[in-house]
Amino acid sequence: MTMKTLSLLVVDDDPVIRLLLCQRLTKDNHMVSAVDKGQDALGLLRGDAQFDALITDLVLPDMDGIAVLEVAKSLRPTIEALVITGHASVDSAVEAMKKGAVDYLTKPINFDELSLRLDHIAIRQGLAKDARDILLAKEVTEQEAASTIQALEMRVSELQDALTAAAAILRDGGRDQEDKISQALAILNRT
Amino acid sequence: MLKITAGEIKTVSQYIKDISGIYLDASKGYLLETRLSPLAEALDCKNYSELQHKASRDASKKIERQIIDAISTNETLFFRDKGPFELLQYKLLPELIDARSGGALKRQLRVWSAASSTGQELYSVAIVIRELLQGNLGKYNFHLLGTDISDNAVQQASYGKYNKFEIERGLDQAVLRKYFTAFGDSWKVRDELRAMVKFQKFNLMQPFTGLGKFDIILCRNVAIYFTMDDRKKLFAKLADSLADDGFLVIGSTESLTGICSRFEPKRHLRSIFYQKK
Repeated sequence: MTMKTLSLLVVDDDPVIRLLLCQRLTKDNHMVSAVDKGQDALGLLRGDAQFDALITDLVLPDMDGIAVLEVAKSLRPTIEALVITGHASVDSAVEAMKKGAVDYLTKPINFDELSLRLDHIAIRQGLAKDARDILLAKEVTEQEAASTIQALEMRVSELQDALTAAAAILRDGGRDQEDKISQALAILNRT
Repeated sequence: MLKITAGEIKTVSQYIKDISGIYLDASKGYLLETRLSPLAEALDCKNYSELQHKASRDASKKIERQIIDAISTNETLFFRDKGPFELLQYKLLPELIDARSGGALKRQLRVWSAASSTGQELYSVAIVIRELLQGNLGKYNFHLLGTDISDNAVQQASYGKYNKFEIERGLDQAVLRKYFTAFGDSWKVRDELRAMVKFQKFNLMQPFTGLGKFDIILCRNVAIYFTMDDRKKLFAKLADSLADDGFLVIGSTESLTGICSRFEPKRHLRSIFYQKK
Protein backbone atom coordinates (compact mmCIF):
# COMPACT_ATOMS: atom_id res chain seq x y z
CA MET A 1 0.00 0.00 0.00
CA THR A 2 1.27 3.45 -0.91
CA MET A 3 2.25 5.59 2.07
CA LYS A 4 1.33 8.99 0.64
CA THR A 5 -0.42 10.39 -2.40
CA LEU A 6 2.22 11.50 -4.86
CA SER A 7 1.75 13.96 -7.68
CA LEU A 8 3.28 12.21 -10.68
CA LEU A 9 4.23 13.30 -14.19
CA VAL A 10 4.32 10.41 -16.64
CA VAL A 11 6.05 10.79 -20.03
CA ASP A 12 5.66 7.93 -22.51
CA ASP A 13 4.77 7.99 -26.20
CA ASP A 14 3.19 4.51 -26.14
CA PRO A 15 -0.55 5.13 -25.59
CA VAL A 16 -1.12 1.67 -24.13
CA ILE A 17 1.67 1.98 -21.56
CA ARG A 18 0.53 5.51 -20.75
CA LEU A 19 -3.03 4.30 -20.16
CA LEU A 20 -1.90 1.35 -18.04
CA LEU A 21 0.36 3.58 -15.98
CA CYS A 22 -2.44 6.10 -15.42
CA GLN A 23 -4.91 3.38 -14.40
CA ARG A 24 -2.54 1.65 -12.00
CA LEU A 25 -1.08 4.78 -10.43
CA THR A 26 -4.54 6.35 -9.99
CA LYS A 27 -5.69 3.09 -8.38
CA ASP A 28 -2.72 3.38 -6.02
CA ASN A 29 -4.17 6.76 -5.00
CA HIS A 30 -1.62 8.94 -6.81
CA MET A 31 -2.46 12.01 -8.89
CA VAL A 32 -1.23 11.51 -12.44
CA SER A 33 -0.58 13.83 -15.36
CA ALA A 34 0.48 11.96 -18.49
CA VAL A 35 1.96 13.31 -21.71
CA ASP A 36 3.46 11.68 -24.79
CA LYS A 37 6.21 14.19 -25.59
CA GLY A 38 9.22 15.48 -23.66
CA GLN A 39 8.47 19.09 -24.56
CA ASP A 40 4.93 18.77 -23.18
CA ALA A 41 6.39 17.47 -19.92
CA LEU A 42 8.81 20.40 -19.72
CA GLY A 43 5.91 22.76 -20.42
CA LEU A 44 4.08 21.39 -17.39
CA LEU A 45 7.24 21.57 -15.25
CA ARG A 46 7.68 25.23 -16.23
CA GLY A 47 4.11 25.92 -15.07
CA ASP A 48 2.60 26.12 -11.60
CA ALA A 49 1.68 22.47 -11.09
CA GLN A 50 3.59 20.71 -8.32
CA PHE A 51 5.08 17.28 -9.01
CA ASP A 52 6.71 14.94 -6.52
CA ALA A 53 8.10 12.59 -9.15
CA LEU A 54 8.72 12.22 -12.87
CA ILE A 55 8.37 8.86 -14.60
CA THR A 56 9.80 9.05 -18.08
CA ASP A 57 10.60 6.69 -20.91
CA LEU A 58 14.20 7.10 -22.04
CA VAL A 59 13.18 6.97 -25.70
CA LEU A 60 10.72 9.70 -26.72
CA PRO A 61 9.72 10.94 -30.17
CA ASP A 62 10.84 14.55 -29.76
CA MET A 63 13.76 14.33 -27.32
CA ASP A 64 15.92 12.05 -25.26
CA GLY A 65 14.40 10.98 -21.91
CA ILE A 66 17.68 11.81 -20.17
CA ALA A 67 17.42 15.37 -21.52
CA VAL A 68 13.88 15.59 -20.06
CA LEU A 69 15.31 14.37 -16.76
CA GLU A 70 18.13 16.94 -16.83
CA VAL A 71 15.86 19.88 -17.58
CA ALA A 72 13.31 18.64 -15.01
CA LYS A 73 16.01 18.52 -12.31
CA SER A 74 17.21 22.00 -13.17
CA LEU A 75 13.65 23.37 -13.10
CA ARG A 76 12.61 21.46 -9.99
CA PRO A 77 15.70 20.37 -8.02
CA THR A 78 13.63 18.39 -5.49
CA ILE A 79 11.70 16.30 -8.02
CA GLU A 80 12.38 12.56 -7.87
CA ALA A 81 12.78 10.77 -11.20
CA LEU A 82 12.23 7.19 -12.31
CA VAL A 83 13.20 6.22 -15.83
CA ILE A 84 11.76 3.48 -17.98
CA THR A 85 14.05 1.78 -20.43
CA GLY A 86 12.93 -0.50 -23.21
CA HIS A 87 15.89 -2.80 -22.87
CA ALA A 88 17.96 -3.76 -19.89
CA SER A 89 20.70 -1.38 -20.90
CA VAL A 90 22.97 -0.81 -17.93
CA ASP A 91 24.64 2.07 -19.75
CA SER A 92 21.48 4.09 -20.23
CA ALA A 93 20.31 3.34 -16.69
CA VAL A 94 23.68 4.39 -15.23
CA GLU A 95 23.63 7.54 -17.36
CA ALA A 96 20.13 8.35 -16.04
CA MET A 97 21.22 7.74 -12.44
CA LYS A 98 24.20 10.06 -13.00
CA LYS A 99 21.80 12.74 -14.16
CA GLY A 100 19.74 12.38 -11.00
CA ALA A 101 17.27 9.52 -11.52
CA VAL A 102 16.69 7.62 -8.28
CA ASP A 103 15.88 4.35 -10.03
CA TYR A 104 14.94 2.72 -13.33
CA LEU A 105 12.46 0.14 -14.57
CA THR A 106 12.71 -2.07 -17.65
CA LYS A 107 9.89 -2.82 -20.07
CA PRO A 108 7.61 -4.67 -19.80
CA ILE A 109 6.82 -2.71 -16.67
CA ASN A 110 6.24 -4.76 -13.54
CA PHE A 111 3.59 -2.62 -11.86
CA ASP A 112 4.10 -4.14 -8.41
CA GLU A 113 7.76 -3.21 -8.68
CA LEU A 114 6.78 0.32 -9.74
CA SER A 115 4.44 0.61 -6.73
CA LEU A 116 7.26 -0.47 -4.46
CA ARG A 117 9.63 2.14 -5.91
CA LEU A 118 6.97 4.83 -5.50
CA ASP A 119 6.38 3.69 -1.91
CA HIS A 120 10.07 4.29 -1.25
CA ILE A 121 9.87 7.74 -2.81
CA ALA A 122 6.77 8.53 -0.72
CA ILE A 123 8.47 7.38 2.48
CA ARG A 124 11.60 9.39 1.68
CA GLN A 125 9.55 12.49 0.88
CA GLY A 126 7.53 12.03 4.07
CA LEU A 127 10.72 11.85 6.11
CA ALA A 128 12.12 14.87 4.30
CA LYS A 129 8.94 16.81 5.08
CA ASP A 130 9.13 15.80 8.74
CA ALA A 131 12.76 16.92 8.82
CA ARG A 132 11.81 20.23 7.17
CA ASP A 133 9.00 20.77 9.72
CA ILE A 134 11.36 20.07 12.61
CA LEU A 135 13.96 22.43 11.15
CA LEU A 136 11.35 25.12 10.66
CA ALA A 137 10.23 24.74 14.28
CA LYS A 138 13.86 24.91 15.38
CA GLU A 139 14.48 28.02 13.29
CA VAL A 140 11.41 29.80 14.70
CA THR A 141 12.53 28.93 18.25
CA GLU A 142 16.07 30.08 17.46
CA GLN A 143 14.82 33.39 16.05
CA GLU A 144 12.78 34.06 19.17
CA ALA A 145 15.71 33.14 21.42
CA ALA A 146 18.11 35.22 19.31
CA SER A 147 15.89 38.28 19.54
CA THR A 148 15.70 38.00 23.36
CA ILE A 149 19.40 37.23 23.80
CA GLN A 150 20.52 40.05 21.50
CA ALA A 151 18.32 42.59 23.32
CA LEU A 152 19.78 41.42 26.63
CA GLU A 153 23.33 41.53 25.23
CA MET A 154 22.91 45.18 24.19
CA ARG A 155 21.24 46.08 27.50
CA VAL A 156 23.99 44.45 29.57
CA SER A 157 26.60 46.32 27.51
CA GLU A 158 24.83 49.66 28.13
CA LEU A 159 24.57 48.92 31.86
CA GLN A 160 28.24 47.96 32.02
CA ASP A 161 29.22 51.22 30.31
CA ALA A 162 27.05 53.20 32.75
CA LEU A 163 28.50 51.40 35.77
CA THR A 164 32.03 52.01 34.51
CA ALA A 165 31.28 55.72 34.01
CA ALA A 166 29.60 56.01 37.44
CA ALA A 167 32.52 54.20 39.11
CA ALA A 168 35.01 56.57 37.44
CA ILE A 169 33.14 59.59 38.80
CA LEU A 170 32.92 58.11 42.30
CA ARG A 171 36.66 57.29 42.31
CA ASP A 172 37.58 60.85 41.32
CA GLY A 173 39.34 62.06 44.47
CA GLY A 174 39.38 65.76 43.71
CA ARG A 175 35.64 66.44 43.71
CA ASP A 176 32.88 67.11 46.21
CA GLN A 177 31.32 63.90 47.55
CA GLU A 178 27.70 64.96 47.10
CA ASP A 179 28.38 66.28 43.60
CA LYS A 180 29.99 62.94 42.63
CA ILE A 181 27.07 60.92 44.01
CA SER A 182 24.55 63.10 42.25
CA GLN A 183 26.41 62.82 38.89
CA ALA A 184 26.81 59.05 39.25
CA LEU A 185 23.12 58.66 40.08
CA ALA A 186 22.20 60.82 37.10
CA ILE A 187 24.15 58.46 34.80
CA LEU A 188 22.55 55.37 36.32
CA ASN A 189 19.06 56.89 36.12
CA ARG A 190 19.53 57.68 32.44
CA THR A 191 20.46 54.06 31.66
CA MET B 1 23.37 -0.53 20.35
CA LEU B 2 26.13 -0.78 22.97
CA LYS B 3 24.98 0.56 26.32
CA ILE B 4 27.24 3.03 28.08
CA THR B 5 27.83 2.91 31.84
CA ALA B 6 27.87 5.94 34.15
CA GLY B 7 31.61 5.47 34.67
CA GLU B 8 32.24 5.33 30.92
CA ILE B 9 30.22 8.52 30.33
CA LYS B 10 32.64 10.30 32.66
CA THR B 11 35.88 8.91 31.24
CA VAL B 12 34.86 8.95 27.55
CA SER B 13 33.49 12.51 27.89
CA GLN B 14 36.78 13.63 29.44
CA TYR B 15 38.69 11.94 26.58
CA ILE B 16 36.50 13.70 23.98
CA LYS B 17 36.98 17.04 25.73
CA ASP B 18 40.76 16.51 25.73
CA ILE B 19 40.94 15.75 22.00
CA SER B 20 38.32 18.19 20.72
CA GLY B 21 37.15 20.65 23.39
CA ILE B 22 33.61 19.32 22.98
CA TYR B 23 32.13 18.95 26.45
CA LEU B 24 29.38 16.42 27.08
CA ASP B 25 27.99 16.39 30.60
CA ALA B 26 26.58 13.36 32.43
CA SER B 27 23.16 13.84 30.80
CA LYS B 28 24.59 13.21 27.31
CA GLY B 29 25.05 9.44 27.65
CA TYR B 30 22.43 8.86 24.92
CA LEU B 31 24.43 11.06 22.55
CA LEU B 32 27.63 9.11 23.17
CA GLU B 33 25.73 5.88 22.56
CA THR B 34 24.02 6.93 19.33
CA ARG B 35 27.13 8.53 17.85
CA LEU B 36 29.87 6.17 19.01
CA SER B 37 28.11 2.81 19.03
CA PRO B 38 28.51 2.16 15.26
CA LEU B 39 32.25 2.90 15.48
CA ALA B 40 32.71 0.77 18.62
CA GLU B 41 30.91 -2.13 16.96
CA ALA B 42 32.83 -1.74 13.69
CA LEU B 43 36.09 -1.96 15.66
CA ASP B 44 34.86 -5.03 17.60
CA CYS B 45 34.96 -3.22 20.93
CA LYS B 46 33.02 -4.86 23.75
CA ASN B 47 32.40 -1.52 25.46
CA TYR B 48 33.21 2.18 25.21
CA SER B 49 36.23 1.91 27.53
CA GLU B 50 37.80 -0.47 25.02
CA LEU B 51 37.09 2.01 22.21
CA GLN B 52 38.77 4.76 24.21
CA HIS B 53 41.80 2.56 24.96
CA LYS B 54 42.12 1.56 21.31
CA ALA B 55 41.94 5.21 20.27
CA SER B 56 44.55 6.25 22.85
CA ARG B 57 46.94 3.48 21.74
CA ASP B 58 46.46 4.15 18.00
CA ALA B 59 49.62 6.00 16.95
CA SER B 60 48.11 6.85 13.55
CA LYS B 61 45.31 8.79 15.34
CA LYS B 62 42.84 7.31 12.87
CA ILE B 63 40.40 6.19 15.59
CA GLU B 64 40.69 9.57 17.29
CA ARG B 65 39.73 11.25 14.00
CA GLN B 66 36.82 8.84 13.58
CA ILE B 67 35.60 9.63 17.10
CA ILE B 68 35.79 13.39 16.38
CA ASP B 69 33.91 12.92 13.10
CA ALA B 70 31.23 10.91 14.90
CA ILE B 71 30.80 13.21 17.87
CA SER B 72 30.97 16.63 16.20
CA THR B 73 27.71 18.26 15.16
CA ASN B 74 27.73 19.42 11.56
CA GLU B 75 24.38 21.16 11.62
CA THR B 76 24.68 24.00 9.13
CA LEU B 77 22.96 25.43 6.10
CA PHE B 78 23.51 28.00 3.41
CA PHE B 79 22.79 31.52 4.68
CA ARG B 80 21.96 30.22 8.17
CA ASP B 81 19.95 32.86 10.10
CA LYS B 82 20.00 35.27 7.09
CA GLY B 83 20.74 38.24 9.42
CA PRO B 84 24.55 37.80 9.55
CA PHE B 85 24.73 37.68 5.74
CA GLU B 86 22.70 40.89 5.40
CA LEU B 87 25.08 42.31 7.98
CA LEU B 88 28.07 41.27 5.84
CA GLN B 89 26.55 42.59 2.63
CA TYR B 90 25.30 45.94 3.84
CA LYS B 91 27.62 46.84 6.71
CA LEU B 92 30.76 44.82 7.42
CA LEU B 93 32.11 44.20 3.91
CA PRO B 94 31.41 47.72 2.56
CA GLU B 95 33.08 49.27 5.64
CA LEU B 96 36.10 46.99 5.39
CA ILE B 97 36.49 47.49 1.66
CA ASP B 98 36.33 51.22 2.22
CA ALA B 99 38.91 51.04 5.02
CA ARG B 100 41.27 48.83 3.02
CA SER B 101 40.99 50.74 -0.27
CA GLY B 102 43.53 53.24 -1.53
CA GLY B 103 47.23 52.74 -2.04
CA ALA B 104 48.98 51.14 -4.96
CA LEU B 105 48.85 47.56 -3.65
CA LYS B 106 45.74 45.46 -3.29
CA ARG B 107 45.31 44.98 0.44
CA GLN B 108 44.31 41.56 1.72
CA LEU B 109 40.85 41.11 3.21
CA ARG B 110 40.86 38.00 5.36
CA VAL B 111 37.69 36.21 6.44
CA TRP B 112 37.74 33.20 8.76
CA SER B 113 34.89 30.78 9.30
CA ALA B 114 36.29 29.27 12.49
CA ALA B 115 33.95 26.28 12.63
CA SER B 116 33.15 25.88 8.96
CA SER B 117 31.56 22.42 9.23
CA THR B 118 30.71 21.21 5.72
CA GLY B 119 31.40 24.61 4.16
CA GLN B 120 27.96 26.15 3.66
CA GLU B 121 28.77 29.22 5.79
CA LEU B 122 31.98 30.12 3.94
CA TYR B 123 30.46 29.50 0.49
CA SER B 124 27.58 31.77 1.55
CA VAL B 125 30.14 34.46 2.43
CA ALA B 126 31.82 33.97 -0.96
CA ILE B 127 28.44 34.36 -2.69
CA VAL B 128 27.75 37.58 -0.75
CA ILE B 129 31.16 38.95 -1.78
CA ARG B 130 30.59 38.11 -5.45
CA GLU B 131 27.09 39.60 -5.41
CA LEU B 132 28.38 42.73 -3.69
CA LEU B 133 31.40 43.35 -5.90
CA GLN B 134 30.08 41.91 -9.18
CA GLY B 135 32.71 42.73 -11.85
CA ASN B 136 34.97 44.53 -9.37
CA LEU B 137 36.03 41.38 -7.50
CA GLY B 138 39.46 41.43 -9.17
CA LYS B 139 40.27 44.77 -7.54
CA TYR B 140 40.37 43.13 -4.13
CA ASN B 141 42.46 40.42 -2.59
CA PHE B 142 40.06 38.26 -0.59
CA HIS B 143 41.30 35.30 1.45
CA LEU B 144 38.50 33.12 2.78
CA LEU B 145 39.54 30.42 5.22
CA GLY B 146 37.29 27.75 6.71
CA THR B 147 38.48 25.49 9.51
CA ASP B 148 36.87 22.60 11.31
CA ILE B 149 37.97 19.85 13.63
CA SER B 150 36.24 17.11 11.63
CA ASP B 151 38.19 15.55 8.74
CA ASN B 152 34.98 14.49 7.05
CA ALA B 153 33.50 17.98 7.28
CA VAL B 154 36.67 19.58 5.86
CA GLN B 155 36.74 17.03 3.06
CA GLN B 156 33.13 17.68 2.06
CA ALA B 157 33.60 21.44 2.32
CA SER B 158 36.68 21.32 0.06
CA TYR B 159 34.88 19.14 -2.48
CA GLY B 160 31.85 21.44 -2.42
CA LYS B 161 29.24 18.82 -3.25
CA TYR B 162 25.87 18.91 -1.54
CA ASN B 163 22.83 16.67 -1.72
CA LYS B 164 19.43 18.08 -2.51
CA PHE B 165 18.38 18.25 1.15
CA GLU B 166 21.45 20.34 1.98
CA ILE B 167 20.79 22.51 -1.09
CA GLU B 168 17.10 22.94 -0.30
CA ARG B 169 17.99 24.56 3.01
CA GLY B 170 18.72 28.24 2.55
CA LEU B 171 19.42 28.54 -1.19
CA ASP B 172 16.96 30.08 -3.58
CA GLN B 173 16.72 28.86 -7.16
CA ALA B 174 18.46 31.85 -8.77
CA VAL B 175 21.50 31.54 -6.48
CA LEU B 176 21.53 27.77 -6.95
CA ARG B 177 21.65 28.03 -10.74
CA LYS B 178 24.24 30.81 -10.68
CA TYR B 179 26.75 29.21 -8.33
CA PHE B 180 26.13 25.45 -8.52
CA THR B 181 26.15 22.76 -11.18
CA ALA B 182 23.88 19.70 -11.11
CA PHE B 183 25.94 16.62 -10.36
CA GLY B 184 23.70 13.56 -10.54
CA ASP B 185 21.20 13.91 -7.71
CA SER B 186 23.48 16.42 -5.98
CA TRP B 187 24.89 19.86 -6.70
CA LYS B 188 28.48 20.99 -6.91
CA VAL B 189 29.82 24.47 -6.16
CA ARG B 190 31.09 26.12 -9.36
CA ASP B 191 34.85 26.43 -9.69
CA GLU B 192 34.89 30.24 -9.54
CA LEU B 193 33.34 30.09 -6.07
CA ARG B 194 35.46 27.17 -4.93
CA ALA B 195 38.62 29.00 -6.00
CA MET B 196 37.81 31.78 -3.52
CA VAL B 197 37.88 29.55 -0.43
CA LYS B 198 40.27 27.27 1.39
CA PHE B 199 39.40 24.73 4.04
CA GLN B 200 41.72 23.08 6.53
CA LYS B 201 41.50 21.02 9.67
CA PHE B 202 42.00 23.00 12.87
CA ASN B 203 41.27 22.43 16.55
CA LEU B 204 40.09 25.66 18.21
CA MET B 205 41.49 24.44 21.54
CA GLN B 206 45.03 24.71 20.17
CA PRO B 207 47.12 27.90 19.96
CA PHE B 208 46.29 30.07 16.93
CA THR B 209 49.97 30.39 16.00
CA GLY B 210 50.53 30.99 12.31
CA LEU B 211 46.94 31.86 11.42
CA GLY B 212 47.63 35.61 11.32
CA LYS B 213 45.08 38.39 11.71
CA PHE B 214 41.61 38.38 10.20
CA ASP B 215 39.30 41.22 9.22
CA ILE B 216 36.13 39.23 9.80
CA ILE B 217 35.80 36.17 12.01
CA LEU B 218 32.65 34.06 12.01
CA CYS B 219 32.60 31.82 15.06
CA ARG B 220 29.01 30.70 15.17
CA ASN B 221 27.41 27.92 17.17
CA VAL B 222 30.59 26.14 18.16
CA ALA B 223 31.48 27.62 21.56
CA ILE B 224 28.15 26.31 22.85
CA TYR B 225 29.76 22.86 22.93
CA PHE B 226 32.66 24.03 25.13
CA THR B 227 32.95 24.54 28.89
CA MET B 228 32.72 28.12 30.15
CA ASP B 229 36.46 28.09 30.84
CA ASP B 230 37.25 26.95 27.29
CA ARG B 231 34.86 29.55 25.85
CA LYS B 232 36.78 32.28 27.68
CA LYS B 233 40.09 30.98 26.32
CA LEU B 234 38.64 30.70 22.79
CA PHE B 235 37.30 34.25 22.63
CA ALA B 236 40.51 35.67 24.13
CA LYS B 237 42.43 33.98 21.28
CA LEU B 238 39.87 35.25 18.75
CA ALA B 239 40.37 38.79 20.08
CA ASP B 240 44.12 38.37 19.50
CA SER B 241 43.45 37.13 15.94
CA LEU B 242 41.09 39.93 14.93
CA ALA B 243 42.35 43.12 13.27
CA ASP B 244 41.82 46.19 15.45
CA ASP B 245 39.02 47.43 13.19
CA GLY B 246 37.82 43.91 12.37
CA PHE B 247 34.47 42.30 13.07
CA LEU B 248 33.45 39.21 15.02
CA VAL B 249 30.14 37.47 14.35
CA ILE B 250 28.90 34.80 16.75
CA GLY B 251 25.77 32.61 16.68
CA SER B 252 22.46 34.44 16.89
CA THR B 253 21.58 32.76 20.20
CA GLU B 254 25.06 33.15 21.69
CA SER B 255 26.29 35.85 24.05
CA LEU B 256 29.72 37.08 25.12
CA THR B 257 28.45 38.47 28.43
CA GLY B 258 30.68 37.10 31.16
CA ILE B 259 32.90 35.40 28.57
CA CYS B 260 35.07 38.08 27.01
CA SER B 261 35.15 41.75 28.00
CA ARG B 262 37.48 42.70 25.14
CA PHE B 263 34.59 42.85 22.67
CA GLU B 264 31.83 45.42 22.44
CA PRO B 265 28.46 44.42 20.93
CA LYS B 266 27.03 46.63 18.18
CA ARG B 267 23.68 46.33 16.50
CA HIS B 268 22.89 46.64 12.80
CA LEU B 269 19.34 45.89 11.63
CA ARG B 270 18.42 42.45 13.01
CA SER B 271 21.94 41.38 13.93
CA ILE B 272 24.62 41.96 16.48
CA PHE B 273 28.31 42.01 15.68
CA TYR B 274 31.31 42.62 17.90
CA GLN B 275 34.34 44.86 17.66
CA LYS B 276 37.33 45.10 19.93
CA LYS B 277 37.06 47.86 22.55
